[in-house]
Amino acid sequence: MTRTRSIVRWVLALVPPFMLTAAIPFANRVEPRIAGLPFLLAWIVLWLILTPAFLGCIYRLEGRP
Amino acid sequence: MTPAATALSIVALVVLGTIGFALYAVRRVEMDPQQYIVGGRSFGTLFLWILLAGEVYTSFTFLGAAGWAYGKGAPAFYILSYGTCGYILGYFFLPKVWRIGKERGLLTSPDFFLDRYGSRTLCVSVAVLQFFLVVPYVTLQLTGLQILLSMAGYGEYHAKIAVGVAFVLIALFVFTAGLRGTAWASVIKDALVLGAVVFAGIFIPMRFFGSPAAMIGKLLEVHPHWLTLSTGTKGLGMTWYVSTVLLTSIGYYMGPHSIAAAYSARDENTIRRNAIFLPIYQIVLLLVFFAGFAALLIVPGLHGSAVDQSFMLVVQRFYPPWVLGAIAGAGALAALVPASALLLGAASVLSKNVIGDLLGIATGDRARTFVTRLLVVVVAAMALYLWLVYKTTLVNLLLLYYNGVTQFMPGFVFALVWRRVGAWGVGAGIGAGMALAAYLAYHSIDLGGINPGFLALLVNVALCAIVTLLAPNRKPAGDAAGS
Repeated sequence: MTRTRSIVRWVLALVPPFMLTAAIPFANRVEPRIAGLPFLLAWIVLWLILTPAFLGCIYRLEGRP
Repeated sequence: MTPAATALSIVALVVLGTIGFALYAVRRVEMDPQQYIVGGRSFGTLFLWILLAGEVYTSFTFLGAAGWAYGKGAPAFYILSYGTCGYILGYFFLPKVWRIGKERGLLTSPDFFLDRYGSRTLCVSVAVLQFFLVVPYVTLQLTGLQILLSMAGYGEYHAKIAVGVAFVLIALFVFTAGLRGTAWASVIKDALVLGAVVFAGIFIPMRFFGSPAAMIGKLLEVHPHWLTLSTGTKGLGMTWYVSTVLLTSIGYYMGPHSIAAAYSARDENTIRRNAIFLPIYQIVLLLVFFAGFAALLIVPGLHGSAVDQSFMLVVQRFYPPWVLGAIAGAGALAALVPASALLLGAASVLSKNVIGDLLGIATGDRARTFVTRLLVVVVAAMALYLWLVYKTTLVNLLLLYYNGVTQFMPGFVFALVWRRVGAWGVGAGIGAGMALAAYLAYHSIDLGGINPGFLALLVNVALCAIVTLLAPNRKPAGDAAGS
C-alpha cells in the first residue's frame, strides 16, 4: 500500500467517529428538520448510513476481494 | 381462551419453536471444544452477521432503548452512535485478534492475554473479572424477560415462574447446542425482532398520528427540548454524550462472547465485510426510538423503571392479544439468544482458563466440552439467583459491565501495536481502571458530566504506559505479534 493510500485510509476511518462525537455540539439543533427528523437525529442517522460506504472504500483501498 | 392465555401461548410457541429449530440445525454437529465454543472457526459472512447482530441487540436494546427515548429523549441517541463507532474500530481490530487466535489455537479472550503477555496470573485474573462482569449482564436479560412476560400475561400470572422456566430452557439449549446453535437461533430472533420493531416504530405512529414524521412534530410541540442535548455539564448533557460514545464504542467488542464470535469467523475478510454491513442493522434502533416517542405521547406518565414498558404498554392496551404475544415472543428471544451467547462466553472462560489452565483439570477435548456445558448451567443458576435477590441495583450493574469490560481494551491494543508492554503494565492498568470505575460508579460522583468509565480508561492507559516505560525492556513473549 502506498503512503497516500494509507493516509486516505486513516482519514476515511476517522471521519465518521469524528462526526458522531466531536461534531455533535454543532449538530445539536432541531431545525432544519430532514424527512421529519430533528436535525440532531438526522445527522446521526446520516453518518450511520454513510459508515458502510466509508468502510467499503477502505476495504477497496486495501485491495481486498 | 383468555387474552393472557392467547398471548402467553404465542410467546411459548415462538421460544420453543426457535429452540427446536436451532437444535435440529445442529443435530449432526460433533461437539469438541473448538466447535462448541467458537463454532469450529468456520462461520461465513452472513452467518457471522446474524450471530453478531443476535448478540448485540438484546432485550435492553428492545425495551431499554425505547425506555430511554421515552424517559430521557436525546441522550438515548448515544445508542445509535456508539455501535457505528464500535464497528469501525472492529474493522481494524478484530481481524488481528482473529489471526492470532487462529495461529495459536486460542478459544477465549483470556487465552489472548496468556499468549501475548505470557502471564498465567494476568490470564486468570482477566478470566475471573470477565466472568463477574458477564453474570449481571445475563441477569439484566432476565429483567427484560420478566417485563415482557408479565405484560403478555396481562398481570394475571406470576412472571417469576415463567422467567425461571424460560431460563432453564435456555440453559439446557446452550448445554446442547453451543455457539453454532446460538447462531441458528439468532436467524429466527433477528427476523422476528425486525418485524416487531417495524410494527412498533412505524405502524403504531401511523395508527395514532398518521406517520412517524407527524408524530415527531407532535412530540416537539409538547416537549420542545426533548430531541436535543442539554449544553451544560450537569447530568446527561453534551459532555456525557461524547465521553459515553467513546467509552462504549471502545468497549463494544470486549465481552468474552464477542471475542468468541470474532474467533468463529472463517477468515479475516469475513470479519471486515461484517464490520462494513453491521451499521445498517442500527437503523432498527431508530424505529425503536419511534416506538418510545409514540408511547410518550400515547401513555404518558411512566416513571423510574416503568419506562421500560413504554411501547409494550401501548400494544397491550390498544392491540389484540395475538399481536401482544407475537411482539413479546420476539422480545423474549431478544433476551434469551444473547443470554445464551453470554452464558457460553462466561462458561468457556472459566472452564478453559481457570479450571483447565490454572487447576489443570479437564484439559482433554471431551472433558473440556463437558465441563464447559456444566458451567453453562452453573452460570445460569448464578444469574437467576442474582436476579431473584438483587434486581433493584441492575442499572448500576449494567454500567459496571460497560465500564468494566472496556478496561480490557488497552491490553488488546497494546499487544498489537506496542511490543514492549508486558503483563505488569497491562495488569496494573486493568486493576486501576476497574477499581476506579467501580468506585466512581458506586458513589455516583459527578465529574462534570464525563462518564466515569471513560476517566477510568484514561487512567488505565496512562498507568499501563508509565509501568511499561519504567520496567526494564524485556523480550517479546510471542513471535506472532501483529505484523
